Amino acid sequence: MLTLPEELLLLAHQEDSGSFDLPGNVLDLALAAAVLMDLALRDRIDTDLERGVIINAAPTGEAVLDKELARLQAQQDIESLAEWLNLVADDGADIKEGSIARLIERGVLHQKADRFLWVFETRRYPLIDGQQLDEVTARILAILTNDDIPDPRDIVIIALAHTCGLTERLIAEHELTEEEEAHAQARVEQIVRIDLVGRAMRVLLDDLQAALFLTSSPI
Amino acid sequence: MRDGNDGGEEVMDIRDYDEGASSVLQLRGRLDAGTAGAVEAKLTAMAGLGRPLVIDLGELSYISSIGLRVLLQAAKRAQAAKLGFALAAPQPPVKEVFHITGLDGILTIHDDLADALGKAE
Repeated sequence: MLTLPEELLLLAHQEDSGSFDLPGNVLDLALAAAVLMDLALRDRIDTDLERGVIINAAPTGEAVLDKELARLQAQQDIESLAEWLNLVADDGADIKEGSIARLIERGVLHQKADRFLWVFETRRYPLIDGQQLDEVTARILAILTNDDIPDPRDIVIIALAHTCGLTERLIAEHELTEEEEAHAQARVEQIVRIDLVGRAMRVLLDDLQAALFLTSSPI
Repeated sequence: MRDGNDGGEEVMDIRDYDEGASSVLQLRGRLDAGTAGAVEAKLTAMAGLGRPLVIDLGELSYISSIGLRVLLQAAKRAQAAKLGFALAAPQPPVKEVFHITGLDGILTIHDDLADALGKAE
């Protein structure tokens, strides 16, 4: 199973450019939120509205998640969820690089080096295997087009995707009827209200959405 | 930050009984990382009974995110089995958590146990 940071990057992947359509100014916090949500779903951390506690420091087997779990464990003096978010967000660049590396290792993406103006090296990440992306999008669309109670994992990936402006694209790219599209939009609004990780996460996600109005270029 | 359970006591009294056509699970204490496993095991076992399920939260004093997920999964299982599922009588602090987290938009929550029993069947 992909980690949530990996799923978020995959949802933001743009096949034509081999880049990720995530605004740079919200990227670190969005990836930090994805890491904390994933650790919660793997029963490594527990939270209430304000605070977080580590309930199991055992490695998950996912290097990106385990590094951040160890960093949280090392900071015994902080317990507010907002501080956790900021701590993990400080490592946003490594989370991004580590998650892309894991997607390459899994055979989902591959790395291609190009040169811009024959001088500057740029990296692109074309999709090799679209199955994982198809599975994530199918899972999300199924939840958005019916009224079933969503799985916790689906709730958090929809909240993250919406925060990063990706649900609109997802809905637009699929051929939904007008009625299905209206239903999907209403379900997004219902699901993004759900916060299974804590009030600080809700505040963060709201802030990230606000930041999208000041968005910068894709990463 | 502390390891474990927020420094609180890992206390949960779990009682189940039948009331009319429904099964009732009464939770008393804290539903968090220290107690969620026992509650989940009980809910999984009760899901096999094929009866509408009402969770009596009247004496639940605290719920964390892991507890919310346990209840959400139980509701999802009940929906898949086409069985009634309702939460009943949450005290104000727990009710506030359901409201702030938005779960009151997904789960059926009644202020009164008798009302929940009447609607779950």
